[in-house]
Amino acid sequence: MLNRFSRLSMAAAAAALVLGTAPAGAGGRLSVAQALDPGTWDPIDTFLVDWSKVANNIYDGLIQRGADMRLTPALATSWKVADNGLSIRFELRKGVTFHNGEPFDAQAVKYTFDRLLGTEGGKGPQQSNYNVIERVEVIDDHTVNMVLKKPDPVLLIKLAGYGAMIVPPKYVAEKGDAYFNTHPVGTGPFMLESYEPKVGIKLKANPNFWGGAPKLDGIDFRFIAEPGTEVAELQAGRLDIATLIPLSQIETIKKQANLDVLSVPGPTVVVLRFNTKNGITKDENVRKALIMAVDRDTITKEILLGQAKPIVSFQSEISFGYDPNLKPLPYDPAGAKKLLAAAKVAPGTAVQLDIRGNDSTFREVAQAVAGYLQGVGLKPTVKPYETSVLLNDIIPAGKTGEMFHTQWGGWTFDFDNTAYLMYHTGEKWNPYDSDPKLDALLEKQRSITDQNERLKLLREVGAYVAGRALELPLYNLNTFVGINKRVKGFDLPGDNRYRFLNVTVE
Amino acid sequence: MALFLTKRFLQALFVVFAVTLLVAWAVRLSGDPAIMLTGGAGSVTEQDLVNIRNALGLNRPFHEQYLGFLYGLLHGDLGNSFVGGTPVTQLVAKALPATLMLAAAAIFVSIALAVPLGIRAAIKRGSAEDQAIRIASLAGLSFPNFWLALMMVLVFSILLKWLPPSGFDGPVSLILPAVTAGVINTAANVRLVRTSMLETLSAQYIMVARAKGLAERVVLYKHALRNSAIPLVTYVGIQFGNLVAGLVVIERVFNWPGMGSLAFDAVAGRDYPVLQGVVTVFAILIVSVNLLIDILYGLLDPRIRTE
Repeated sequence: MLNRFSRLSMAAAAAALVLGTAPAGAGGRLSVAQALDPGTWDPIDTFLVDWSKVANNIYDGLIQRGADMRLTPALATSWKVADNGLSIRFELRKGVTFHNGEPFDAQAVKYTFDRLLGTEGGKGPQQSNYNVIERVEVIDDHTVNMVLKKPDPVLLIKLAGYGAMIVPPKYVAEKGDAYFNTHPVGTGPFMLESYEPKVGIKLKANPNFWGGAPKLDGIDFRFIAEPGTEVAELQAGRLDIATLIPLSQIETIKKQANLDVLSVPGPTVVVLRFNTKNGITKDENVRKALIMAVDRDTITKEILLGQAKPIVSFQSEISFGYDPNLKPLPYDPAGAKKLLAAAKVAPGTAVQLDIRGNDSTFREVAQAVAGYLQGVGLKPTVKPYETSVLLNDIIPAGKTGEMFHTQWGGWTFDFDNTAYLMYHTGEKWNPYDSDPKLDALLEKQRSITDQNERLKLLREVGAYVAGRALELPLYNLNTFVGINKRVKGFDLPGDNRYRFLNVTVE
Repeated sequence: MALFLTKRFLQALFVVFAVTLLVAWAVRLSGDPAIMLTGGAGSVTEQDLVNIRNALGLNRPFHEQYLGFLYGLLHGDLGNSFVGGTPVTQLVAKALPATLMLAAAAIFVSIALAVPLGIRAAIKRGSAEDQAIRIASLAGLSFPNFWLALMMVLVFSILLKWLPPSGFDGPVSLILPAVTAGVINTAANVRLVRTSMLETLSAQYIMVARAKGLAERVVLYKHALRNSAIPLVTYVGIQFGNLVAGLVVIERVFNWPGMGSLAFDAVAGRDYPVLQGVVTVFAILIVSVNLLIDILYGLLDPRIRTE
């Protein structure tokens, strides 16, 4: 550790101090802060978005998805779904090598999925995403056939990230898993320069990248868990991109001439779900009244400072399954009161909101919702829980109050990911409701690969759930970062899986 | 004497044992690491969670997990982090020197401020200057450390751009966190120096020194300070433990890669092995220091070792 205090680093620090910017080379280095060190860079070990912020630059999947959310070829140049969705044949890119010089071929693809679906993958959280894959067959050096247990319409998206990132077979076998965790090797545009646990990871350009060499010389990722500290580093000019900034600081950042805030719709959607089994929320009309009592536009504007959009169903507008024609129940306190009176809910009836206590923004939102409910004559209480207690013990066991906070968001941006787990009978996150019609819709969309038909079914699910008022839809949170204006060519992806291939710094 | 040493040693061993047991038990009440590891993953089923728990060894009964931890501890192995599998000893080996360095720097800052201010207040006793120093040190004591940290960053990093707001980029990075942690401890130390200086200054040998015609500077720094430094040294020793505990917040704000940051992340991520490791290492450190002091007292005072 003491060697960090060398003269060199002192000089660098002094230079940085004087210039007020990070030292830059010819193509320049980009400095990015993120909250967490995932501790491992092995694709099968983690589910953290902070893993992907870095690793999306190191690895490639067979398919890739950019900031525009379109799927494009990566290590596979083309693919064809066959056997009624039960197999996918991939033509692989030729002449690609891993950072260690190992050639990329069909064996590498087979090895990656054998490992993901085998015992090694079973130790991590990634396997469950890809369980639908039965096996990968090598047809020839540059062709593989992926055999599925049943059709999975979302699988192609999943192949663009996380557990499906292709790893080098010889390297992993020779060096072992523990070494691979801290010395990742992929085929991506950047490769590992150095990794210091809990401090940061440095990447350098891969001149042999199959898509052309990146423009930057390298990227320095720093792990900074405190949002205020990230902002301070950004303001001091020592950071190009701060990925964890508090809502309240957005205006402060924008005021500084050389800084800006980028914001796009993100994957996270937030609702208050209803206990449809017990209490007053058993009654559909009461649930509708509670929805109509709350002014969600004002909440997004005033508390979330415009960094969120009201939703109608439990998904964002970039989610597959979103229906632009689905209209929300209006904000109508008078109408809500009438509905409550008709349902014989006496004024002063208690309503309990169970929330994640560690989320300070949502605490404010919950207080606002409680205020609106009070406005229609109810007596709401907000009950904060430790997140893991709420997720482990309260929701799955069906021990919530009338309403409970749920926030969800898969990087796949496919409504199936949310809807099945929230509404299908017997699912962990669905302790109260059982609706055969909804079950049938959810099962049917999983069994077909015709995306137009699926879209129709998923929209039907959204409309049906809204019709039964199973939840109070709140909002879709934006993904936002603070950025130094010297960074050019950066498209912020809503899922925060950055790829800095075409980024430059001035 | 041998009996005394054995007794003290066994007591120390018991304390470490008790601490590890308590922590191992308490940390397991805090929530499921498998849920944290898969946080937000929509497709995770109960079976996946079971697999992950098995892989982490959480399916074994508590006594087995704990005995496994003890066995590892005796072999210098604190297990592997749940997040990424890095050996805990490796994480601690990096974080502990960083924390000790910061703590030492904070103590240095605190003494460098407290001694001159305390002496000044003592010799100007009752004057406006004395009052000012005492009020200022009271204010320093009342600062919440995170607020002070943010203010320091605002002034010295963002407005003046003199110092880096966070990180670990060489000696310049040490200044802000050390000063922040130091200032908070200074308040108490100024009062201590002042009081003990006042006591010393009224002693007869000071009168003698002055009567001999020694310069006031020599009287103060050579005769008075040396004697009044004893309580300060003792107190700073006691402060050390509290200081390290207080560094958790300072380390987080300044992104200092020490034991505090390590513990903070471990709590947030339900990383049992890391948390157990950090607490155990601190327990061993503090118990060892106390044991050493006990032995020293025993050597110095025969009454203690025959108690």
